[in-house]
Amino acid sequence: MPTSPVKTRIPLTSFGHLITEVKRQLFKNDATPPTELTGWRTYFNSYTLKGRRNFVLATYSVLALAAGVYTLRRHKKEEHETTSAAT
Amino acid sequence: MAMSFFDQFASSSCMGVPLIAIAIALPWVMYPTSTSRWINNRLITIQGWFINRFTNQLMLPLSMGGHKWALLLASLMVFLITINMIGLLPYTFTPTTQLSLNMGFAVPLWLATVIIGMRNQPTVALGHLLPEGTPIPLIPVLIIIETISLFIRPLALGVRLTANLTAGHLLIQLIATAVFVLLPMMPTVAIITAAILFLLTLLEVAVAMIQAYVFVLLLSLYLQENV
Repeated sequence: MPTSPVKTRIPLTSFGHLITEVKRQLFKNDATPPTELTGWRTYFNSYTLKGRRNFVLATYSVLALAAGVYTLRRHKKEEHETTSAAT
Repeated sequence: MAMSFFDQFASSSCMGVPLIAIAIALPWVMYPTSTSRWINNRLITIQGWFINRFTNQLMLPLSMGGHKWALLLASLMVFLITINMIGLLPYTFTPTTQLSLNMGFAVPLWLATVIIGMRNQPTVALGHLLPEGTPIPLIPVLIIIETISLFIRPLALGVRLTANLTAGHLLIQLIATAVFVLLPMMPTVAIITAAILFLLTLLEVAVAMIQAYVFVLLLSLYLQENV
């Protein structure tokens, strides 16, 4: 029976991780950064674990901020509509 | 009262007592426990061998921290496989066709794996939400997609088990009804349909065991990422 050319156990729970593992084993693409990581790339990059973590936290922070601003503006708009209806 | 095909999934009660409680407790009384003898009888030995082998296989990819889950995962597997198999007998009720039961297993166990990951290794757990080597323009989209897939996991776990078992039971009932209806009218067709029913029942036995295994295997994979 033909066996898989990919040797190690692949975490099948995420499509992204499956692609990464297949790239690493079949195409020997180890996702090394093209150049040295300098400047802001030291903290925000998609190669190191900490870089990925920082990107995730930044994305969540931006989304939370956007949701907060939207909620506040809607609250203020409702208050403004209530006061103008009262007067 | 006209019977519908979905009546088999209704959880019945007797004098106000829901019988699902008895159905859920049934696997517990069915299995013999080890005695205080030095060597147990054949049945208990086979049972122990199966559970040991299964647990060994499941714990292979997990680190030592994940081995704490051995008892939970092994007992969950035995419970699910027993309930699924008993449900294939005629006139029995299958608790795992209830989405509430399956979600009651999937959500807390999945959440436990996520909380363990966030608590013990938050950097790795958060880093898993972004695949390596992602181009910068795709990063926010991919993070959102991976977050959605993370939250979809318990839903998929519960619905997979429910849908597989419900669909199987419905098919069995439909084809069995067809056999009974066709028997006086077209006996030859009824015999062919009965043969299909037999094959379907064999398939459902396999599905019952496989779905229980898949449920537990996926939970162990989620744990492997986080422990």
